[in-house]
Amino acid sequence: MLLIRCPYCEAERPEVEFTYAGEAHIARPTNPSVLSDDEWRDFLFIRSNPRGRHFERWRHMHGCGRFFNAVRDTVTDKFAMTYRAGAPRPSDEEIALAATSAATRAKDARP
Amino acid sequence: MLLANHPLLGKTIPGDTASRLNIRAADDTARFSLRIDPAAVQSAGTAFGAPLPTRIGGMVEAGGRTALQLGPDEWMLMAPVAEGDGIVDAFSALGETHSLVDVGHREVGILVEGEAASLALRSAIAFDIDAMPVGTGCRTIFDKAQIVLIREDKTRFRIEVWRSFADHVWGLLQAVSREIALGI
Amino acid sequence: MTTFRIAGKGRVDHSRSVHFAFDGAQYAGCEGDTLASALLANGVHLVGRSFKYHRPRGILTAGSEEPNALVGTDRGNGRFEPNTRATVLEVYDGLKAESQNRWPSLTRDIGAVNDALYMLFSAGFYYKTFMWPKSFWDKVYEPFIRSAAGLGKAPSAPDPDTYASRFTHCDVLVVGGGAAGLAAALEAGRSGASVILCDEQTELGGSLLSEPGAEINGQLAWDWLEDATAALAALPNVTLLPRTTAIGYYHQNFVGLCQRLTDHLSVVPEGAPRERLWKVRAKQVVLAQGAIEKPLVFAGNDRPGVMLAGAARTYLNRYGVKVGNRVVVVTAHDSAWHAAFDLAKAGVEVAAIVDIRGTVSTQLAATADALRIRTLIGWTVTGTRGRLRVSSVRVNPVTGGTVGRAQTIACDALLMSGGWTPSVHLFSHTKGALTWNEDGQMFLPGRGMEECRLAGAGKGRFGLKAAFEDGAAAGSAAAADAGFTAEPAAYHVEGELPFTGVSSRDLPTDRDPGHAKAFVDFQNDVMAKDIRLAVREGFKSIEHIKRYTTNGMATDQGKTSNINGLAVASDALKRPIPAVGLTTFRPPYTPTTFGAFAGYNKGELFEVTRKTPIDGWAEENGAVFEPVSLWRRAWYFPQVGEDMHQAVARECKAVRSSLGMFDASTLGKIEIVGPDAAEFMNRMYTNAWTKLAPGRCRYGLLLGEDGFIRDDGVIGRLAQDRFHVTTTTGGAARVLSMMEDYLQTEWPDLKVWLTSTTEQWAVIALNGPNARKLIEPFVEGIDLSEGAFPHMAVATGTICGVPTRLFRVSFTGELGFEINVPARYGRAVWETLFEAGQLYGITPYGTETMHVLRAEKGYIIVGQDTDGTLTPDDAGLSWAIGKTKPDFVGKRSLARPDMLAADRKQLVGLLTDDPKTVLEEGAQIVLDPKQPVPMEMVGHVTSSYWSAELGRSIALAVIRGGRSLQGQTVHVPMPDTVHAATITGMVFVDPENKRLSA
Repeated sequence: MLLIRCPYCEAERPEVEFTYAGEAHIARPTNPSVLSDDEWRDFLFIRSNPRGRHFERWRHMHGCGRFFNAVRDTVTDKFAMTYRAGAPRPSDEEIALAATSAATRAKDARP
Repeated sequence: MLLANHPLLGKTIPGDTASRLNIRAADDTARFSLRIDPAAVQSAGTAFGAPLPTRIGGMVEAGGRTALQLGPDEWMLMAPVAEGDGIVDAFSALGETHSLVDVGHREVGILVEGEAASLALRSAIAFDIDAMPVGTGCRTIFDKAQIVLIREDKTRFRIEVWRSFADHVWGLLQAVSREIALGI
Repeated sequence: MTTFRIAGKGRVDHSRSVHFAFDGAQYAGCEGDTLASALLANGVHLVGRSFKYHRPRGILTAGSEEPNALVGTDRGNGRFEPNTRATVLEVYDGLKAESQNRWPSLTRDIGAVNDALYMLFSAGFYYKTFMWPKSFWDKVYEPFIRSAAGLGKAPSAPDPDTYASRFTHCDVLVVGGGAAGLAAALEAGRSGASVILCDEQTELGGSLLSEPGAEINGQLAWDWLEDATAALAALPNVTLLPRTTAIGYYHQNFVGLCQRLTDHLSVVPEGAPRERLWKVRAKQVVLAQGAIEKPLVFAGNDRPGVMLAGAARTYLNRYGVKVGNRVVVVTAHDSAWHAAFDLAKAGVEVAAIVDIRGTVSTQLAATADALRIRTLIGWTVTGTRGRLRVSSVRVNPVTGGTVGRAQTIACDALLMSGGWTPSVHLFSHTKGALTWNEDGQMFLPGRGMEECRLAGAGKGRFGLKAAFEDGAAAGSAAAADAGFTAEPAAYHVEGELPFTGVSSRDLPTDRDPGHAKAFVDFQNDVMAKDIRLAVREGFKSIEHIKRYTTNGMATDQGKTSNINGLAVASDALKRPIPAVGLTTFRPPYTPTTFGAFAGYNKGELFEVTRKTPIDGWAEENGAVFEPVSLWRRAWYFPQVGEDMHQAVARECKAVRSSLGMFDASTLGKIEIVGPDAAEFMNRMYTNAWTKLAPGRCRYGLLLGEDGFIRDDGVIGRLAQDRFHVTTTTGGAARVLSMMEDYLQTEWPDLKVWLTSTTEQWAVIALNGPNARKLIEPFVEGIDLSEGAFPHMAVATGTICGVPTRLFRVSFTGELGFEINVPARYGRAVWETLFEAGQLYGITPYGTETMHVLRAEKGYIIVGQDTDGTLTPDDAGLSWAIGKTKPDFVGKRSLARPDMLAADRKQLVGLLTDDPKTVLEEGAQIVLDPKQPVPMEMVGHVTSSYWSAELGRSIALAVIRGGRSLQGQTVHVPMPDTVHAATITGMVFVDPENKRLSA
């Protein structure tokens, strides 16, 4: 079970309190009627599905109830950081900084 | 008035001989879900008649009324049943935009008390209960049921659970109580 | 019977004998025995037959890695468990165990014919043998595979035991209670950190339990162990968990521990759980799991009596059992020499030590000489004899790579050692990297993914002193990283054993290796030649070789076979071992009961059963229930002698002719409050809400952004800024979550809040011409007259003296009310109305009648008549779309080309030509029943009932272009016949809606 930091509660909470909510930073067009069929299709269905760093949405469903965003590595399952809904996509530097300050430092097993 | 009824009405799980654990259904109470911009928390406190906490998880008790902050703009308010109508009236006079919804019948309270209280809860709650400060509360998952867990004291907890999930939570607490009494 | 127990030796209690049965024969063991040690004490080596060839098998190991000695245990009352390893099964008075994989008996087994046909069962035999002819598959091959497949007998009765689980957080979790683990736990415990030390064995100590001669800091090993265990037990911040296996290591230091609570007890306390699954979140983890001894691979290495040397030493020193009277040791590693020495000192005749190495240390050779043990250095083993127990071993000298003339040495036990493999399983669960150590010929932990350290033999640090010091270092470092201060203590160890050896592939032989039954994987019966055959047939990756040969795929996950298999594959591929790779270790570390995973979730607690406030009344009044999402709902209320069909027909008639009452409390309810409530509703639902007046209701239709119907329900406007939304029973949580998503992330500017009130209200639906007459006397504060409170009105007032939100709605087509009362009064209001309703013959009805009545009116049920691919137009609900609204969720999708196609499947009514035929829901529909198979299917039946009102069957169906086919005949092919039906409109009863306002 993962531990996920809720950026609203400012606490690490167990995964069972959360639900996954798909890729982040895909805003609903303010006026869908002006979109072409292809543009609307892309909004509805086309996702990046990367191997590695993924920007995604979670909801602290059984906690504070808020949707928020996370940067997670789809290979290692490790969260680099989480941030509030509406905040801009973090830069590489911000992600690196958050990842190093996080408590998940991998260690060489042999001292 | 007609007979009020809920799944755990009057139920207790007697503690074992060492009284390390006592579990019982809480008395009826008025409950409201308050949603309001956190900037307006002070005037909301005035309407409630007791100050509201200002961080998620925070809880304030004053004059028999309890306010627990569950989300950035969400508070659970509890008060004696007889004071419920007055609270509705006070909020309807509140100038600030808000939502106050009566959820008094939505939930059932369960008191889990005793030296083994946190041990009992650890059977079905994933977060670190021993690290939970006294006087705080949060929504979480108990086995498969969403609950609100309040730590009233080091050895006293209150579970608030939607009434149709109460039997499940209660049944699990019964199994856990037996296990703890056996000391196995 | 001859006893192999040595009086006074070992840690078992010789004064307390324990009586048990194996294959029906009675035996006595000592308290502290495992089934394996107790059987060996009775001279029993033969304990089972192998999986594929039914070869007689004995006890290979003394631990959880055991591949051979699997038994079934019967604890009574249906408590039967197959495949329990005799080496970890503690004996208790009354234990009943039986051998597996044999018929009619262990010593005379019919299946052993497979052994003679072994050529047929070579690598990939399933793939090769069961290829052709095709007609053999159903009748011959599948039954054969099914009967041969599976280890042991599955239990046939439900498991009567209970299981427990517990979440725990700690600073330092130490896995393994041997020298390294104890040292780590002592350091971490003394630092003040909260520590959990778990070990899969009955008692802590690990290899110390087999090492009584060693001296630690001036104390004999067992004295030191006693003091250390007492010191740990005295620390309040330390939890000791013996009989507890760390089964899996997951993300962020989440480790699953399975604790066995009662299996070792002859009398189990009433109600005690059998096992407990600990779900531990540790800040730091120390893995001190030790090492597993490797067998040597030579012909006949699987005969009963052939055993790992370290296991024989454990049986001797820990259990006081000699594994034979005349033993031969064959080894590639120093450690086996000590087994020989210990046995010799205990009075066992050691006929020879055969070491495949060219030289051994002079110290070992001198000790062997002193004990008068014959040593054969640079020799190989090429075979064994003995039908049910080894009786001799064939050995040959090897000079310059040439295998010389064989000699035969008689023995009743053959001890072998191919060196030791660090147990890195849990580390591998975390995807920690493994690196090949050429010197030690072993994989060692490399870079880790978690806050984790390894210590001792599990990291390739062999020997007691190394284990203690490495453990102490790991424990203090873990404590420091968890925020505590610890200085690792020093350890002084006397009597340290030399610990060097070489690794080998299958041993050289003077015979045809293609016929050598030299086993690599004992549990799955994989031989060295199978692996070589796989390589010859073109398999290059170890992952493919594993699956083709099944090496390492048995319940022991190849604990004793993986490295040997790899060495053979590497030799056959002529590539170094790291280039061949290693297969992946996966949880659980050892086989784990389903009960442990289920924990409390069995029986009543298997899943949440949500019950409404009125559920108790329904139960007392004979309702039959059906599950609807997590709820149980009254399905129908049969009276004496009625079947479901009769009960539903009676309930339907009562509603249409007079009055019925229905518990609708499970309907999802959401209170939407705020100045932007109507705007929010406009954006979420297809309908227009701005002009809906307070006190009025509207049917609301909710789409996904893809334009397909997601949910529906009646929505009442209580005030300008307050809506009471209802959802489907199953959709309640989903709809609220979807609304929250849009509100929080797309429209955070809207001033509106959502609160679930599903359980705040009990809902009593009253339907029928007499509904108003019944409630009028009980309602205060609401004028119920047709003019003041028409269809689709909502008002607040009181009923029976309690507050109500009263809805004038109908899901039956009759005059209807939905009475919302605070949940705790739900049952009392229901009972009051039921009593008063006797005047009108009031009839409680369940979900089945509700379904029939709504279908008669053509009202859809989302999720039954829709399946996530229906648009509002497909479902005939275009009228529910607010045409002038610029946007709502899903609107844009309704204009996509596919959504406008003329041949979309549309919901229609269906009347069978034979009015008595009730179609099956889900049945497929075709236009031409005479077309060849496979037929072109144009749709399917979504709802189908007997309508008592019409005296015939009715159905709803989705049919391609259905609305334009009104009046046409379609066909529903069933296995025995084809039903013809006519496409109709969806409303079967009262199309003018006269009854709504009756």
